[in-house]
Amino acid sequence: MWIDLLIAIIKSVVIIALLLIGFAYMTYIERKVVAHMQSRIGPNRAGPLGLLQPLADGIKLLFKEDIVPARADRVVYWLAPTLSVVPAIITFAVIPIGAPITLFGRTIPLQLADINVALLYVLAASSLAVYGVVLAGWSSNNKFSLLGGLRASAQLISYELALGLSVIGVVMLAGSLSLADIVAAQRSLPYIVLQPIGFLIFGICAVAETKRAPFDLPEAEQELVAGFHTEYSGMKFTLFYMAEYIAMITMSAMTVTLFLGGWHGPFLSELLGPVWFSLKVLFLLFVFVWIRASWPRVRYDRLMGFGWKVLLPLGLLNVFLTAVGIVLMG
Amino acid sequence: MSKQAVVPSILDDDALDEALGEEYVQSGVTVTTYDKLIQSLDKVYNWGRRSSIWPLQFGLACCAIEFICTAASRFDLERFGAGLTRASPRQADVIIISGTVTKKMVPKIVRLYNQMAEPKYVISMGACATGGGPFKEGYNVVSGIDKYLPVDVFVPGCPPTPQAFLYGLMALQAKIDGQSIKDVPWYGKDSMPPSSEPVLGPDIILPEEIPVIREKLASKAAQPEEPVTGKKKHKPKPKIAAIPQEEKDRAAHAAELVNQALGAGTVEAKEHALVVPADRLLDVARLLRDRPETSLDYLANLTSVDYPDRFEVVYNLTSTKYQPDQELYVKTVADKDDPLVPSVVSVWAGADFQEREVWDMMGIRFAGHPNLKRILMWDGFAGFPLRKDYHEAYYENDTKPLPSRWPAGHHQFAEEHNPFGRNVIYPDNGDPATWKPPAESALIVDDRNLNRPGSLKTERIVVNLGPQHPSTHGVFQMQVAMEGETIVDLQPVMGYLHRNHEKIGERNLWLGNMPYTDRLDYICSMSNNLGYAVAVEKLLGVQVPERAEYIRVIMAELTRIVNHLWAIGFLLNDMGAFFTPALYAIEDRELILDFFEATAGSRMMCNYMRFGGVAHDIEDEWLPILHEMVSTRLKHTIDELDTYLTENEIVRVRAKGIGVLTPEMAINFSTSGPVLRASGVPYDVRRAHPYSIYDRFDFDIPTMPNGDVFDRYYQRILEARESLRILEQALDQLPEGPIMDKSPKWQTRVPAGEAYGRVENPKGELGFYVVSDGSANPYRYHVRAPSFINLTVLRELCKGHKVADAVTILGSIDIVLGEVDR
Repeated sequence: MWIDLLIAIIKSVVIIALLLIGFAYMTYIERKVVAHMQSRIGPNRAGPLGLLQPLADGIKLLFKEDIVPARADRVVYWLAPTLSVVPAIITFAVIPIGAPITLFGRTIPLQLADINVALLYVLAASSLAVYGVVLAGWSSNNKFSLLGGLRASAQLISYELALGLSVIGVVMLAGSLSLADIVAAQRSLPYIVLQPIGFLIFGICAVAETKRAPFDLPEAEQELVAGFHTEYSGMKFTLFYMAEYIAMITMSAMTVTLFLGGWHGPFLSELLGPVWFSLKVLFLLFVFVWIRASWPRVRYDRLMGFGWKVLLPLGLLNVFLTAVGIVLMG
Repeated sequence: MSKQAVVPSILDDDALDEALGEEYVQSGVTVTTYDKLIQSLDKVYNWGRRSSIWPLQFGLACCAIEFICTAASRFDLERFGAGLTRASPRQADVIIISGTVTKKMVPKIVRLYNQMAEPKYVISMGACATGGGPFKEGYNVVSGIDKYLPVDVFVPGCPPTPQAFLYGLMALQAKIDGQSIKDVPWYGKDSMPPSSEPVLGPDIILPEEIPVIREKLASKAAQPEEPVTGKKKHKPKPKIAAIPQEEKDRAAHAAELVNQALGAGTVEAKEHALVVPADRLLDVARLLRDRPETSLDYLANLTSVDYPDRFEVVYNLTSTKYQPDQELYVKTVADKDDPLVPSVVSVWAGADFQEREVWDMMGIRFAGHPNLKRILMWDGFAGFPLRKDYHEAYYENDTKPLPSRWPAGHHQFAEEHNPFGRNVIYPDNGDPATWKPPAESALIVDDRNLNRPGSLKTERIVVNLGPQHPSTHGVFQMQVAMEGETIVDLQPVMGYLHRNHEKIGERNLWLGNMPYTDRLDYICSMSNNLGYAVAVEKLLGVQVPERAEYIRVIMAELTRIVNHLWAIGFLLNDMGAFFTPALYAIEDRELILDFFEATAGSRMMCNYMRFGGVAHDIEDEWLPILHEMVSTRLKHTIDELDTYLTENEIVRVRAKGIGVLTPEMAINFSTSGPVLRASGVPYDVRRAHPYSIYDRFDFDIPTMPNGDVFDRYYQRILEARESLRILEQALDQLPEGPIMDKSPKWQTRVPAGEAYGRVENPKGELGFYVVSDGSANPYRYHVRAPSFINLTVLRELCKGHKVADAVTILGSIDIVLGEVDR
């Protein structure tokens, strides 16, 4: 009992630490990759190759003044960044990052909790993220923030539907909502082959859910200055940044788990599970950055139209096709 | 971590009391563990801050362009960790005052600074921000931002090169290195009071200075007026500029036509102008516009001149129906005491902003104008600056050279003459305490129809985009009334960069205005030079040597490519692309700027053309490089933009069908350049009114059919390609020979007369309306700025679209604030 609790605590700490480091270095990777895509160099003064850049940013932001606008709703204003970062982190709890390992005669699954409704848990947790954004936009008492918050609520809720629909095909194939089972079912063939439409919808929705370009409307710089976090400074602002990047990592991890075979790899999956997993996640993160460096932003009404009129029907069609396929193939 | 001092035992006595020990610690004689801790903490603290200086995404004028270039590929500010520009002041660490600080803008700058989170820094970039620079004497220019904000680093230059700016950043890093967390002022409670925000009264006022102002005004009233220094110069009898016969004929012909239609004696032809009495102006205007014989459907320029006995409002008309060289000067005389002229907005909608400008600058009222408010200065400003009897705070003499600087050769600071020690002037009567900022709280957007009954109950909100906003291309403001995301109404607000170009220009020597034209459309200094040279050469009647003409064309066309690359790059930015297209465009721009720098001596502010030629010859070694650039590199870049952007799905969705400008509207609103041609009107000054040697080259005037954002984008690609064609021919045919007509003169006397010279600038028709009285200084110097007039149509284009579209529409019009506000 106690040992289980201890293991859980250790795993939580490790996951949180990894996510925070992942967040820090994701900012570095993004700045470096975008810089090279724009034929620039990117950060290279802070530490060798600029590797300490995230640390420098962190230190600076930590010591920055924390401004609360005079007419802001103070409690909500304070709560909002926390509300957006927590869901991003807790989602990761159910994602398996490797085959179970055996230590001192105990089999330890490489995931914090293998719950039987893991997928529902993921969807539920990621829905919570919208509160942070909406409340931040509302409590700042700033028109840009408010517009950003409004956009976020509409966008995130709309794309959640399509996101939810797109994974139903996977659930039907795997016959389980447990992520460990879904990964296990992809031992020989990742679901991207069987569920190409589902993968596409999930990928698009993942970008929209994480508010990343070209769907970064809630913080659209050219229109809304900085959107919902316009008024935030210092560490509170950092928390929004953190939430965005951790959500990116989590969403990539979910894509890998659901469609790209999870920690399975071409060889030595049992041993190198976490490595395969990380490589796949890193590739998807690179795609996130790549998209950001290449594309302009979609307009708000087009974004909504695309979500409701294209992705949602397509998701339903995918469910139907999957069902037909399962019936035909047995 | 104890604060216990390790005091060396100087006396073996307990008499060394604790107070002395404390004193040692404080004076740094004794090093405690606490100090050591602070030292190592400082190292980390300073290193973190120096490596992560995020600038506020904010630019004022020309310097901002160099700031952008510093962030671009060649210089890459991001290397220092300073590339994450933040659009929100809350998240920025340094505000870079990059350009001329105007009185209209300075309250906003102080507010932005106050909104930033500590620790915050200020870099004053360029001569203007530091001390007013070339615009120091202007009535709307603040002589140095350091009078309002605590500046950390001054970067000299006009504008500073990217290298200079990087050095400034390093200087700021050095300053940060020297700070200690122990004694930085910003962590204590209320230790850093916000900078006081100046308010706009009849002139700019710092609230805490009101008692001083009142006192000085009282003492000034007690003293007699100081006599104006500087002797009246003896004016030699001026030479009169020859007026081309065809211009006289045109005026005479038009007068005949009008008098036939509206009754004899309605108008009269005077030299090259048609003089119309104010009460018949609208009839004559409609007639001239609608009659097929004249079809003067395009109001190119509207301005006014302040003569000793009268005001004259001047209309430069032309036709887009492609009757080559069709143009007409129309004039109306206004009374000196109560100048009132009917508004021609109902005939040519393009008169809207221009009439407001005339009202603002010269105080001529236009009867029937829909919204006659000040446009460049703020409402409540005292005086009409372009009237000859208006003297600004730093006034010294009517014309340059100023007696304080020449010929005695000594220089006095203008601040020393001014009773308030800064560039302000207040009306003698009136109480400073009651001067209030008038327009600030006033809603410019008309919201009388709020919450119409019957419609969905939504609340309309008014959002100010700008003057500090990532996509207003400078200090421009759009007041937008929105219902949800849809724009119900939009009002452009400008003047935040109004740096009194024309007033200063009327004091300068003729040639002295050349470097000022660089700073109009600061992306295109070369072609601005050309425009001014063409206008003045009309009066001078000089012959430009062949080689100089070719060089002028080469420079102007390279400038066009520079501008279009920039415009396309930043249009994509406005659509939300993360700088990538813009940076690729800037990369090629840098190559062209290298050539400018090698030839003219400066990257951006070339100051290259002279009356009767150009200042320097092209170095021979550059010709092969130019050939290679034009035939390969630039061609490739334009193709690349075309390939990657034109077919992009998101670009097409964002740009097709947005902000449609019909050809009729385009003409009626006096739009020009790519905006006009993208609506299918093949009007190009290079064809319609050939200047320089454009009639020798083989090139097309491309047009696009739809007039939407996409067409305006693609129009620029097509035009850049045509420029390459011209460049290839010009480079091939470039003759040997002199580059100047006779010997260069710095003090040109221009024969008396008036001329409107126009060139096809990359952004549209750039016109200079100059009036000479035969002296060494222009009597009237007016700039017809294409960006300014193209903005007239913005409101119509944006209505009914989404707020994101307003940003792209503005981007597709392609404005530069230096030219909008002048």
